[in-house]
Amino acid sequence: MKKVCLLRLAELSGVARPCLAAIWLLAFLLTGCHNDPNPKPWREKRADGKPWVVRYASMPEEVRSLDPQVSYDSISRMVLEPVQDCLLEYAPMKIDPYELQPCLLESIPSRTMNADGTVDYLCKLKRGIFFHDDPCFPRGKGRELVAADVHFSIQRLCDPKVESPISANLAEYIAGMTEATDAAKRNGERFDYATMKVSGVEALDSHTFKLHLLKPYPQILYWMAMHFMAPVAQEAVNYYDGLPHADGSRGEMISRPLFRFHPVGTGPFKIVEWVRGQRFRFVRNENYRTTVFPSEGWPKERDAVNGPLAGHALPLVDEVQLGIFRELLPMWLLTRQGYLDRFAVQKDAFNSLISATKGLTPKYADRGLKLEKAVEVSTFYISFNQQDPVIGTNKKLRQALSCAYNPQGFIDILYGGVAPIAQQLLSPGVFGYQKDFRNPYAFNLEKGRRLIAEAGYPNGIDPATGQPLKITMDTTANSSAERQLAEYEQRQLEQLGIHVEVVENTFARMLEKEDQGNFQIAAGTGWGADYPDPENYFFLFASSNFPPTGKNINRYKNPEFDQLFEKMASMENSPERLEIARKLNEILIEDCPMVLNFHKAYFVVTQPWSPETQVNMMLEGGFKYMTVDPALREQKRREWNAVALWPIPVAIALVIAGLGYAVYINRRRNV
Amino acid sequence: MSGFFDQLWVQNALLFLGFGLFAALIVSGSRNERWQRAGRYLRGDRTGMVSGAIIAIYLLVGALETLQFPYQNGTVSVIGWFFRNVPIESTYSAPLAATTLSTSDPQPLKGRHLLGTDALGKDTFAQTIRACRTALILGGFTSAIYIPLGTLLGILAGYYRRWVDDIIQYVYSVVASVPEILLLVAIIIVLEKGLGTMSIALGTTGWVGLCRLIRGETMRQSERPYVAAARALGQSHWRIITRHLLPNVMHLVLINFVLGFSGLVLAEATLTYLGVGSPIGTASWGIMIDGARSELSREPVVWWNLTAATFALFGLVLSLNLFGDALRRAFDPKRG
Repeated sequence: MKKVCLLRLAELSGVARPCLAAIWLLAFLLTGCHNDPNPKPWREKRADGKPWVVRYASMPEEVRSLDPQVSYDSISRMVLEPVQDCLLEYAPMKIDPYELQPCLLESIPSRTMNADGTVDYLCKLKRGIFFHDDPCFPRGKGRELVAADVHFSIQRLCDPKVESPISANLAEYIAGMTEATDAAKRNGERFDYATMKVSGVEALDSHTFKLHLLKPYPQILYWMAMHFMAPVAQEAVNYYDGLPHADGSRGEMISRPLFRFHPVGTGPFKIVEWVRGQRFRFVRNENYRTTVFPSEGWPKERDAVNGPLAGHALPLVDEVQLGIFRELLPMWLLTRQGYLDRFAVQKDAFNSLISATKGLTPKYADRGLKLEKAVEVSTFYISFNQQDPVIGTNKKLRQALSCAYNPQGFIDILYGGVAPIAQQLLSPGVFGYQKDFRNPYAFNLEKGRRLIAEAGYPNGIDPATGQPLKITMDTTANSSAERQLAEYEQRQLEQLGIHVEVVENTFARMLEKEDQGNFQIAAGTGWGADYPDPENYFFLFASSNFPPTGKNINRYKNPEFDQLFEKMASMENSPERLEIARKLNEILIEDCPMVLNFHKAYFVVTQPWSPETQVNMMLEGGFKYMTVDPALREQKRREWNAVALWPIPVAIALVIAGLGYAVYINRRRNV
Repeated sequence: MSGFFDQLWVQNALLFLGFGLFAALIVSGSRNERWQRAGRYLRGDRTGMVSGAIIAIYLLVGALETLQFPYQNGTVSVIGWFFRNVPIESTYSAPLAATTLSTSDPQPLKGRHLLGTDALGKDTFAQTIRACRTALILGGFTSAIYIPLGTLLGILAGYYRRWVDDIIQYVYSVVASVPEILLLVAIIIVLEKGLGTMSIALGTTGWVGLCRLIRGETMRQSERPYVAAARALGQSHWRIITRHLLPNVMHLVLINFVLGFSGLVLAEATLTYLGVGSPIGTASWGIMIDGARSELSREPVVWWNLTAATFALFGLVLSLNLFGDALRRAFDPKRG
């Protein structure tokens, strides 16, 4: 066949030959042309012959570290979560209130209060859970998870070289952590895992251990649902050392990755591909038996989707492709074409997606897209420095500023009006959150003007100077959106007749100013909770938590608040604890060390083939619960990406006409 | 340092100083025969005159926006006073629209806006006009830093040569070898953001080109008979430099100033786009273009802010380049 073609080409005349060659070349180049940016699935079919199901997801940045004992940012946790299971986990459909469920543990640990004030938690690991198959294990086969792995993880928290960000927090509660850390420091920062044991983790048998706490700390259960306490295999940490080893097929030296870039976990997926800056590819862990899809916890309207999945083995898909998109526009365009299965609606796509009734616009509703609202466990506010001689000493002035600020405009500009205005520090779903509570110092300009006069600055004029009171507002303004928002905040506060000078800072400089208390007002501050407990919010205003070691950047100090906080922090949830949480809220609202802004929230659009099967924002992705109908996706993609052929003949006609005109002009000039 | 230059009275004083220096430069140059011939040629160059007139309008608008006077417990610029009745809306609105740009919850506007409004509801036309001040301040401040520096060092290197030339060459080679944008960002981060800081950063990095140019021209002029005659008459080095060499290189300074001004206006837009440019609340084309990053991906698209800033920037930069070319032609000795 090849010979025949070559002969024919050789027989062609001079002009036809290059034309034909050009057509062949064009056809060759165009064979790779399509608008699907996703790489081919890892496999075409499962081992049992069923179709291989892929989920396409996105994230905005590259990860920093995948070491479970180190990784703290949500992006890294999104990649770690499918790979590394925790002792406990959040129930995927329970958000009001949030609820924990066992993951690697058989059940929620039982607590024993000791006479000396210490507390023990009895923890039993599920049997038959294996680490991923990996070269770090003998013959590449993952071994069974045992209690010693949990002890090793806690030891790693104490290892100064691991640099875990939460080591000091947990050392305050888990017995023996401080001693182990000190021993390592005395040993030249070298942690000897064979001898430096953490007495707070006591293995009772291969799968049972007791966690000894120095004092009551019910929040330890939430820490068990985070990766810091997730068990890791010592073999994996030792094997992935970043050094060259004779691992090549012919014994040549090859550098192994560092453990922080090569997690070996027990989770539902394994990382099989990581193209830096582009994507992660996860493939199902065939040995995963740890959890199944829950059988309850969702409202009735989700029965149709979640009902059939109840008790189903996890994960529901075979592969997850997690693309890294630094810009929002490509994410929206790919969602529109059907190449991403889920999209968090940003302000730029808001107007085309959301209708006047806060539903989907008809164009996208007709496509079968669905709209969900996601509220993060977070609260954002503008901070006042309580040690500032002007702001910190004048409660009325702070209340006036709070009354002058209307968060709704802020929310409309940045979050398309979807984020709820914060009426209190606690966010929805957290124990102690009061649905009907209204902040008495929320936006009310008349009240603000009255309060600023009572504060000693009638119409915002400083009697000492006869000029408008000058206040400095520090902010980080690294993007156009941040600059717009800072300007909005400035304009709102200036409604009282004062002058607000905005100082832009780099992120590092802003943190430095917050640590040093070198500001009057700090805009853009807030808190994304580590766990949904009032202790994790109110500690931000405890005087024991001043910077640089703590997070009380407002330098708020109130003995009554401190006393109540200390009492509430170590209590189990109860009516008494609820009452204290309410009292703490009232004190904060009245003292007004901040202007409450909003709880971060946004709309999420899901494709008709990938309904939302988990809504818990404490999960970073929740990929194991996600499902896809690949046949419907393929059908919709074909419909939505139908190629219009008319531009091709039109373009060819235009080129021919242009060439013809050029030839005509050329001949006329040369005649 | 940035705080000092960001004070209103300093900016007003520098504005007048800048205008004064520019006028002095023209007046002193007009005594030079070469300048007189160039002036006569320029008057007959229609493109040059039109672009010069456009630049003058920009300068006038920028000056009127800089001049402030007391108004209602504060101060207002002359341009600001003209726009005092233009209302601020809640958010975006399209040019001449009656409601805000929102399919979900359109709000009636308090007034009509010729070029629409931005995300914070500010009138785009007013912002575009007021941004002339930023361009003027930045171009003026920066030129006031880099032109004396580049001219002085260039003349010294070209006239004295030997070790003076070696040192100056070494310094500008070092400065030129550092990636300019990194150096700019580093200086601005260290000194904190502000128009003054941006001018200092651009001024301290922008003198190298002018210095090289003036050094070469000074070397050429130093070989001419009139310089040899001045030396033979026993004139001092200072007198030879100021009375003989400087007037003969000033045309290059003028051309470089005009062409460099357009580069500075563009640099402001670039630095603002990188997040280290004009401070919050400043009317600036750079800020408008930076904001358009997200505006262009909106649906429906917000095109008016980018368009207005681009046209305003394009008008000034094109006029400066055309005027610079006209000056170069006017001063060209080969013109005959």
